[in-house]
Amino acid sequence: MHFDLSILLPHLGFLARGAELTAAACALSLVGSVVMGALVAIARTSASSTLRRIAFIYVDLFRNVPFIVQLFFFYYGLPELGIYIDAFTTGVVALSIAGGAYASDTIRAGILAIDQGIIDAAEVSGLSRRKIFTRIVLPIALRTSVRPLGSVLINMILTSSILSTITLNELTGSAQIVVSQTYRPFEVYVVLLCAYAALTYLVSLAVTLLHRHLNRDMMEAVG
Amino acid sequence: MRFSDFTSYDLILLAQGLGTNIALFLVTSLIGLLIGLGWALVRFYRVPVLAQIVTFLSELLKNSPVLVQLFLVFFGLPALLHIRVTPVTAATITLSANTAAFVYVIAVSAIESIEREQVEAARVFGITRWQVLRHIVTPQAAAFAVGPLVALLVNQLQVTSLISVIGVVDLTKIGHILNMRTLKPFVVWTVVGLLYYGAAKLVALLGERFENRLRAHSAWRGL
Repeated sequence: MHFDLSILLPHLGFLARGAELTAAACALSLVGSVVMGALVAIARTSASSTLRRIAFIYVDLFRNVPFIVQLFFFYYGLPELGIYIDAFTTGVVALSIAGGAYASDTIRAGILAIDQGIIDAAEVSGLSRRKIFTRIVLPIALRTSVRPLGSVLINMILTSSILSTITLNELTGSAQIVVSQTYRPFEVYVVLLCAYAALTYLVSLAVTLLHRHLNRDMMEAVG
Repeated sequence: MRFSDFTSYDLILLAQGLGTNIALFLVTSLIGLLIGLGWALVRFYRVPVLAQIVTFLSELLKNSPVLVQLFLVFFGLPALLHIRVTPVTAATITLSANTAAFVYVIAVSAIESIEREQVEAARVFGITRWQVLRHIVTPQAAAFAVGPLVALLVNQLQVTSLISVIGVVDLTKIGHILNMRTLKPFVVWTVVGLLYYGAAKLVALLGERFENRLRAHSAWRGL
């Protein structure tokens, strides 16, 4: 039994570059999944039953099929359609679509929680339906769903490790390369485990602070 | 070119793959449930030091990617302890521990959902802590926890797809093999995805039935 963390020192820069790639992929996917989630949430709360059904099928499907299968579907399937995009873009697209299914649920809950009086007031003021949605409903819904969206982001950071299986050298992929150079899998993966845990812990702290800041005028209602 | 077509034997391969997933899912869920409940007991009895270790461990397991945990057990443990770990053993250890971490969190919040007054009142009557746990806490906590537990199980079923990365021949691995042989990614990954989807739906359905049964005594049956 031999445990020595110092062998990792020369590789820290390489791992940091992997972490940057993970961060970039997660940031882009977060934006993508919030956009996707908002669109799907609109569809799920719309008056049209066809739209509602389509949105429900999307959420149901992407929540109940493992992410790795979705990823392979896009990674191997898209070139078949003549769409040649690199692993990073494929990963971001897959993460956005899968994350969108989860984000839509939280945004939908945010929309449904809005006081009907606010919408009535906006209608009386003569705002168009589009304006009511983009200027009133969506900002309130996004503001109250910051915390659940934060857990979507945390899940996304953890899920992004799966992108290493499509040759993307993000944090986990870089760690695999370091293992193959140092032959010290235990040290590398223990550090990696703690790095992910620390990262998600910091993100959850930041999300709590953001949530408190955005909802400071209604602290007693949302805690 | 003969071998690039689908054969009827592929169906057996897919069934075998799905069987591997389901078998590992059942075994690791059972082990995880037992370990998670054991951890919750440690917390309930406020065992010093051990309770803190358990909380820390479950946070670490919850907040790190399952893929990295799999790598740590499959590549890391053999390197550190000079033991032999087969892919299936590594998968069983990792998924059980991961499920246990989530079961622990659900069990703790279920126990905390019971008002302190009930426990205090029971203690005033001279009932031991074990009797409180058995007759007062457990029945109520079980009814509270069954919903989140079913959601957890549906999620853990999808997590089993990751074991293909360390070489367990499960449904995802079979999908990979068929994909490489037939070069028809759309067909292969759609079929694999639908099989996972069906399995997840089955787990959700069984869970819902079980939940209804548990709640039957408190449901309003009408006059």
